[in-house]
Amino acid sequence: MADGVDDGEFYLRYYVGHKGKFGHEFLEFEFRPDGKLRYANNSNYKNDTMIRKEIFLTPSVLKECRRIVADSEIMKEDDNNWPEPDRVGRQELEIVMGNEHISFTTSKIGSLMDVQTSKDPEGLRIFYYLVQDLKCFVFSLISLHFKIKPI
Amino acid sequence: MANVEAEALDFEPEEDDLMDEDVGDGSPNRATAPRLKSAITGGGSAPKKTKGRGFRDEAAAEADRNARMSASFDSLDSEGGPGPERSIEGWIILVTGVHEEAQEEDLQNAFGDFGEIKNLNLNLDRRTGFVKGYALIEFEKFEEAQRAISEMDGTELLTQIMHVDWAFSKGPFRRRNTRRRSPRGHRSRSPRRRF
Repeated sequence: MADGVDDGEFYLRYYVGHKGKFGHEFLEFEFRPDGKLRYANNSNYKNDTMIRKEIFLTPSVLKECRRIVADSEIMKEDDNNWPEPDRVGRQELEIVMGNEHISFTTSKIGSLMDVQTSKDPEGLRIFYYLVQDLKCFVFSLISLHFKIKPI
Repeated sequence: MANVEAEALDFEPEEDDLMDEDVGDGSPNRATAPRLKSAITGGGSAPKKTKGRGFRDEAAAEADRNARMSASFDSLDSEGGPGPERSIEGWIILVTGVHEEAQEEDLQNAFGDFGEIKNLNLNLDRRTGFVKGYALIEFEKFEEAQRAISEMDGTELLTQIMHVDWAFSKGPFRRRNTRRRSPRGHRSRSPRRRF
């Protein structure tokens, strides 16, 4: 098992968004150390309003989230060669696990093409897939608990 | 309750308010802005190794973040406290340690005896296409979910041990080694009541 999986603090926050014609459109979720999962999805497209949900997770769920993060080995990466956030959008991934705290920012990633042509395809690929796996996890938790389709 | 020790009644508002939920003055540069990092990283434990551009001092990004997080979030009504939380139409359990080649059918067979499975999410690893390793299963009744947990936790599926537990909780959980501070700070206890 990777370092820091079962012990120490765990916190994770992911944000993706941009500001444009339809206001500040963003998706953000946060796993807090006390078990609270917060989820927010905002768009003014067609006058849509913000979705904000929160729920407490059991330690088992947090442990599974930690495992997903640990297996990805994202904590070994660094964002210094990743594309900077730009007008098209911004992503933020902040994770505290064990005694490490990462806070990465980058632009939106449209597809694997963007990953492959970047200056750090290996690292960005790890980020790209981890974000997808985390979104899957969060969307399942939120949509099952609240019976809403979050996208 | 005059004899209860201070620690048992410990209430740590700082830990529960990692991001301030009450919009006090609405100003983006509140003192709570840096508190997130200190609350997470400086909670009495050793300083963390930090990495990433997110640590650059970006007032605009932080102000944005505080504005996003300082609002009320919807939740289902809950009494708070420990214990599993009911979801909108049933009770949801988390299965972990699911074998990467497991199929929905395998889970239906393993868990279907406890009650009708209302919902089953068996998510795939987005890179490999194999099962990611967890499943979320919804039962209508508490007893069905409880029995699924008691009887399936620690059992094997396709030669791999699974763990089964509730997914949602009524309230926060406390970790033993987090900073514990009496809300009284260093003040002495109130005098005991005399009857």
